[in-house]
Amino acid sequence: MENLDAACYKSSELNEIIKAKMRDGLQDIVIRNSHSMHNMCVGLTGQGNITIEDSTGLYTASFMEGPRVVVEGNVGWYAGDDMMSGELIIKKNTGCNVGAYINGGTIVIYGSTGSRVGYGMKGGSIIVCGNAGRWAAQMSMGGNLIILGELGQQAGESMYKGAVFTRDTNAVNKLGGNVFLDEATPEERVMLKELFDQYEISADPSEFKVIRPATSGRHKYVLFKPVLKPKAAKKFARGGEFRE
Amino acid sequence: MNEETKVKEPTDSVKSLWHKDTLAEIDYKARAGKHRIRGCATPRRMPNFDDLMILPGQLTRMTIDTYREDCETRTVLGKRFAKKPLVIETPVMIGGMSYGALSKEAKTALAKATSLVGTVISNGEGGILPEELENSYRQSIQVLASRMGFTKRNLEVADMLEFVYGIGAKPGLSGHLMGSKISAEVAELRKLPIGIDLHSHPRSGDSFGADDMIIKMEQMRELTNWEVPIFVKMAAGRVREDIKIAVKLGIDGIILDGCQAGTGAAPVMAADHLGIPTMPALVQAVRTLEEMGVKDEVSLIISGGIRDGADLAKALAIGADAVAIGTSALIAMGCRVCMRCHTGNCSFGIGTQNPEQRKNLDIDEAAERVANYIQAMTAEAVLLAKAAGKSKLKNMEREDLRALTLETAAMTGIPLVGSDLVIGEGFGFTANNKI
Repeated sequence: MENLDAACYKSSELNEIIKAKMRDGLQDIVIRNSHSMHNMCVGLTGQGNITIEDSTGLYTASFMEGPRVVVEGNVGWYAGDDMMSGELIIKKNTGCNVGAYINGGTIVIYGSTGSRVGYGMKGGSIIVCGNAGRWAAQMSMGGNLIILGELGQQAGESMYKGAVFTRDTNAVNKLGGNVFLDEATPEERVMLKELFDQYEISADPSEFKVIRPATSGRHKYVLFKPVLKPKAAKKFARGGEFRE
Repeated sequence: MNEETKVKEPTDSVKSLWHKDTLAEIDYKARAGKHRIRGCATPRRMPNFDDLMILPGQLTRMTIDTYREDCETRTVLGKRFAKKPLVIETPVMIGGMSYGALSKEAKTALAKATSLVGTVISNGEGGILPEELENSYRQSIQVLASRMGFTKRNLEVADMLEFVYGIGAKPGLSGHLMGSKISAEVAELRKLPIGIDLHSHPRSGDSFGADDMIIKMEQMRELTNWEVPIFVKMAAGRVREDIKIAVKLGIDGIILDGCQAGTGAAPVMAADHLGIPTMPALVQAVRTLEEMGVKDEVSLIISGGIRDGADLAKALAIGADAVAIGTSALIAMGCRVCMRCHTGNCSFGIGTQNPEQRKNLDIDEAAERVANYIQAMTAEAVLLAKAAGKSKLKNMEREDLRALTLETAAMTGIPLVGSDLVIGEGFGFTANNKI
């Protein structure tokens, strides 16, 4: 076990030290005084356990490939972006766009997360134990996003592939465009149970439904069009007062 | 007059606002209830490099022998911060055109062409085709908002990175790839369902604004060990303000795409009415970099309707370090600009995923034609540069230029031909007459 004081370094220096120690075979590294530093653990490759005892800033563990990073505090925007593999475990809450473009690996958020979690995700799993903001899994191309708390509006907007698991009873009223709410398959429930067991999350897989993309063919994909409502506008005719 | 000869009534229809194309546009919308998508670039007439002339060396400048003396064309791009700047043999790169918009054969041919002449190709949206990477001389990798087909592996093979904020053919919008072109292979690389009409998202999911982008840039530098030149690709719009922000992000260079740029598919409205033309955009970019005192540090690549050595020489004279070509390279391999790329029906085998049509493009022959074209346009630019007295292509300077029209003089700050008349914002000229 090695203790590092983040306050003594720039993020790039700190990451270099972590990489060097991992190359030397050190398995456990604890980082103190991160003070919401940006770009922590960016591009780490290989095996190792890194525990950050504080909160982190933007882009935590981005492009990571292999290690397990645990953040005891809160995490800023874009954590785990473009992650390839490994685990990012966040004990508290996060900002927006966590897990954007993730290719693989697992992100677990024990608190709540902001908007656009799993934006453009292409693989891997993201588990949010609390609530998620708007546009979860927007334009995702694969992977599994599991949200235990409340969904924000426009969930799954324009997903191409992938799945959003939810037990929000009002999910059907929060769907984005081009998605539908479906029952989980037995295989998916087994997958959920394994993940919940692995990360010690208390939840019943049978409660979850799945938001899936309605993109099985080009004609099912609906894009924005101005909604013209001539009947609704009738009251403004002939001197009616207009209010936006 | 013979009584039997009928007097023909003049028709004003040709000159009318309501000419045939306008009627056809309205008919289309009346029938379909939606806007029209089109391939290639805007057909509108825009100011271009033809409105500039190059001054030859005579008594005031010694000319360089066109056929016997050297003129260097080697170009170094992205040397501001990158440890390994990009070195190419001609200041002509092949711009980003996606596998999907183009066939595998076309992408492979373009890549092979870069190896024949020693330049760089950009992969475009939707990942890097293995055949392109295998055959390219130098490989630029685009980092787009969609991030389709992009992984950390792409960073590892990049000789140059482009953060794409917009393209000239449809600025403010992003990739359009109609379902007919999303074949099983294209879908596999992009992780998309087969046959879906693709409309990418224009805003990046991992940086919402310049402040985030500065931190993102630090991330990218760390991931690439400060070795790979990082460019921003942007469409020409508010050039001055956008360039200033780009420079502050800490990039090595800028690719500026004017509104004459081409694409595989774009809404007609976007192609015809968004953005500003290439030539004035370039002038404004150069002015801005000079104002900021970073003109010699930040590489500037201009694109959008570049056709020949004259465009190249004039772009360099204004202040570009290189040009990027797209449509003209496709024409070199056989494209006849039917502007139907969006349909996926291309009998030349270029803008299609149809297996039968793809057979029509001979990769080696197409590669040779594109290489010949780049070679020839480089030679044309060299011819002009030597006539202007330059032993290096990059030594072309704005003092070598004169504007043919008042409009161009006003847009560029370059004096009107046959006079010292400078109109509007200066561009480093000291003139006797200034309006």
